Amino acid sequence: MIGDLLLRTLRAPNRLVPLASLGGDNAAGSRMPEITCAAMTPDIAGRLAASCPTAAMRSGEEAAGAFFELDYAHCIGCGRCAAAVPEAVGPARSLPVCGVQRARLTRRWNLATGAEVARPPLSGAALPLVGLWPCFDPRQRTPAGAQGVPQLPRCAPTAVPELPRLDRWLGRAVNIRQLDAGSCNGCEAEISALNNPYYDLERLGAHFVASPKHADLLLVTGPVTRNMEEAVRQTYEAVPAPKLVVAVGACGCSGGVFASSPAVAGPVDRIIPVDAYIPGCPPTPAMLATGLAAVLRRR
Amino acid sequence: MTPREEKLARLAPALRQAWVREPEPPRLVSIFGDTGERGPSVHYLLDRGQADYEEIEVEAATELGSLTPLAPAAAWHEREVHDRFGTVFAGHPDPRPLLGHAHDALAAAAAADRPEFTPVAGEGITEVAVGPVHAGIIEPGHFRFSTMGDRVIFLELRHFYTHKGTEDLLAGLEAAAATPLVESVSGDNCLAHAVAYCEAVEQIAGLEPPPRAQALRLVGLELERLLAHVGDFGALCGDVGFAPMPALASRLKEDLLRASARCCGTRTWRGVAIPGGVTVDPPAALRQELAHAVEAAEREFATLAGLALRTPSVEMRFEGAGVLTAGAARDWAAVGPVARASGASLDLRRARPRGAYRRQAFTPPILAAGDVMARARIRVLEASLSAQLILETLADWPAGAVRHPVPAGLDGGGLAAVESPRGELLYWLRLRGGRILRCAIRSPSFQNWPALPSAVIGGIIADFPMINKSFNLSYSGCDR
Repeated sequence: MIGDLLLRTLRAPNRLVPLASLGGDNAAGSRMPEITCAAMTPDIAGRLAASCPTAAMRSGEEAAGAFFELDYAHCIGCGRCAAAVPEAVGPARSLPVCGVQRARLTRRWNLATGAEVARPPLSGAALPLVGLWPCFDPRQRTPAGAQGVPQLPRCAPTAVPELPRLDRWLGRAVNIRQLDAGSCNGCEAEISALNNPYYDLERLGAHFVASPKHADLLLVTGPVTRNMEEAVRQTYEAVPAPKLVVAVGACGCSGGVFASSPAVAGPVDRIIPVDAYIPGCPPTPAMLATGLAAVLRRR
Repeated sequence: MTPREEKLARLAPALRQAWVREPEPPRLVSIFGDTGERGPSVHYLLDRGQADYEEIEVEAATELGSLTPLAPAAAWHEREVHDRFGTVFAGHPDPRPLLGHAHDALAAAAAADRPEFTPVAGEGITEVAVGPVHAGIIEPGHFRFSTMGDRVIFLELRHFYTHKGTEDLLAGLEAAAATPLVESVSGDNCLAHAVAYCEAVEQIAGLEPPPRAQALRLVGLELERLLAHVGDFGALCGDVGFAPMPALASRLKEDLLRASARCCGTRTWRGVAIPGGVTVDPPAALRQELAHAVEAAEREFATLAGLALRTPSVEMRFEGAGVLTAGAARDWAAVGPVARASGASLDLRRARPRGAYRRQAFTPPILAAGDVMARARIRVLEASLSAQLILETLADWPAGAVRHPVPAGLDGGGLAAVESPRGELLYWLRLRGGRILRCAIRSPSFQNWPALPSAVIGGIIADFPMINKSFNLSYSGCDR
C-alpha cells in the first residue's frame, strides 16, 4: 500500500513554483487592490474611501494639500473598492510590500496632481537594494512618525543593533515558530500551505519548529486577544535572542476587522516588537513566501 | 419528587413544558441571551425533527433554573450567557466563567473561591497541561489531562483564548456591511458563515437569491467541505506517521484553491456571498475548468485514501481509537461529520434543504462505529459526495442574474442554518432599521468541543493528537 502511494508520489507531475516567479503573481487569488487609474482625482478618492469597510483607503489633508492613502495593513481584500470604482481599482497580481516595515505598507497620492507620492527614504539614506531587509540596518530605526505617516504606538524595536547583519548570522537556515495570537485560522490555512509541493518553503532553508525555544523567527497571526496577551509575551520571551518577529495578515498588522473590539488587545506590534509585516486577509502562500524571502534576503 | 422531577421543577415553565412534551427530549441546538427590545431574555433553540426549529424565549430574571443537569450540552451555553448577560443558572454543576478567563474581573472573582481546573487526585495520577500555545501551525487552546501511566482518566478543556467579541462587534453594523466580520469567525469555513448570515438577512427581507447565485453558493459550500475533508484526512494520516498522505493531500488542496482563484478571483471565497446573492459570475469556460479540477482531485483523493486506509500501520491506529458512543454524541448534541460517524442522521442539507440543495437528491453517509476510523471514512465518503454535488450543479447551471437588491432599513428576525464542513451552523439575527440589533452565532465547533473528552478519556495520551484531529474543530469558530 505504502509502495503504491510512494510510486504515485514519484509519478505525480512536479508542481514546484520556481522562486524567481513567486513574486510575479504572488497576490493572485487574494483580491488585494491595485490602483489602475492614471490620475487619482478627489472624486475617485472619495468614492474609494466610502467603499472601504476597514479604512484601508482614506482621504486626508496636510500642509502640502489633500491626499489619498492606501494602507495595505488594514486591507482585507473584500473587493468592494474594485466593485464600486472599477475604472480605478483592480485586483493586484503582484504585491511587493510583503515582509516590509510598517510604514512601507502605506501608499499615498497627492490629490492636487493625481500622482502617487514617491516614498521618502525611511531614514534619510536611500535603501540600497530592493528586498534588503531594512530592519537590520540601525539607520532605519527612526520613528516612522517622522515621515508624517500615521502610525500606531509601537513597541520598542528588537534590541539587536549590534547584529545589523542578523540575516548573515542566520546563514542559510531559519527556524520559524508560528504563533496564533487570536486569528480566525484563515492565515493558518495559508501558512500550512507553505509546506505543500507547490511552495516547499524548506528550499529557502526555512523550517517550522514546535517550540519557541528552537525558533529564530516568530510568525504571528491574528489580533492579539486579551486572553492571549500574556501567552504572546511569554512566547516572545521564550525565543532566544537574536530573534525576528513577522506580523501576518490584516489582523496581525492592524487589528483588521477586530481592531475596535474590547476583547482584543491590539495588533501584534502593540504587544511585542515587530520587525516586518505581511498584509492580506489571508495573505496567499506566495505572499507569505515572498515576504519571508524578503526577510531572509533570498530575493 | 424523583431527581429528574426536581431538575425539571427548576426550569422556567415554558422550557419545562417543551422538555417533557414527548418521551424523548428534543435536541438542544442553542441557548443565547439577548438584551432585547422588551427587556433581557434567554432564548432556547430546540430541534424535534420538524421543518423548523422550536424557539422558546424566557424572560431573563436574575436567576433561572439550569438545563445542564438534564442536558449536558447546555453547559457551555449557560456559562456563556452568564458571562455576557449576568444571568445566574441555579443548579449548574460548573458555573465557572467561560469567555474572559485571562482578564475578566468577573472571572477573577469567581476563580478566587474555586480551583482553576477540576481537581483529580490519587496515587499515581499525573496532571499534564498543554497549551494555549501548541506545537504546530494550530490555533490556541488549553487541554488539562489527568493520566495514570499512559491512560487518560480525565480531560478538561479551557478554550476561548481567541475570543474576539465578534457578536458585540456585529451589533450596530449595517446589515450589508457585516459580511467581512462573519467571514472571519472561522477562516476555513468563511463561506459557510457568510451564507448562513446572508440567508438570515434574506429571510428578514422575504427574498430568495436568484437561482444562479444559489448554485454558486452550493458549489462554494461543497468545495469548502471537499477542501476541509481532503486536508483533514491528510493531516490525520500525518498524525500516525504516514507521511506521504499529508503531502499528497496538501497538493490536491492547492490544486483546488488555485482552481477557485481562477474561477472566482479568490482562493478562500471571501467576499463572494452578500445579502441578496453573490458578487461574482464566472463564465462557462472557467466553470468548466473548475469542474475538471474538482473531478481530477476527487478521483485522485478516492484512490489515495483507499490505499492509506488499507495500510496496516494506519488501520491499526485508527480502528477502535477515540470512540464517541452514540449515547455520548446524543448527550452532547454533537453535530456534523462527528455525529454522523457515531450513528446520528443529522445533515441539514437533507433535513432542511435550502437554496440549490432543494434540487439535489442524495443520501448523506452515516457510520455507526464512532471511532477515528469512522470519522476518517465519513470524510472520504463526504468528499466524494461533495464533488458529485459540485459537478451536477456546474453541469446544470441556471441562467439569470446573480444578485437581487436587498431593501434598506430592514426590520425583523431571521434564523438560518447551514451544514458547514464541521456541521450545523446557525445564525440568529435581529435587524432594526437595517442595522444589527443582535446576531447570535452557534458554530458547530462550540457544540462539538465539549464532546471531545468523552472520546479521549480511557484511551492513551499518545492518541490524543489523532483523536483531536479526527474531530478537527475550529477554536476561533468556538471562541468567536
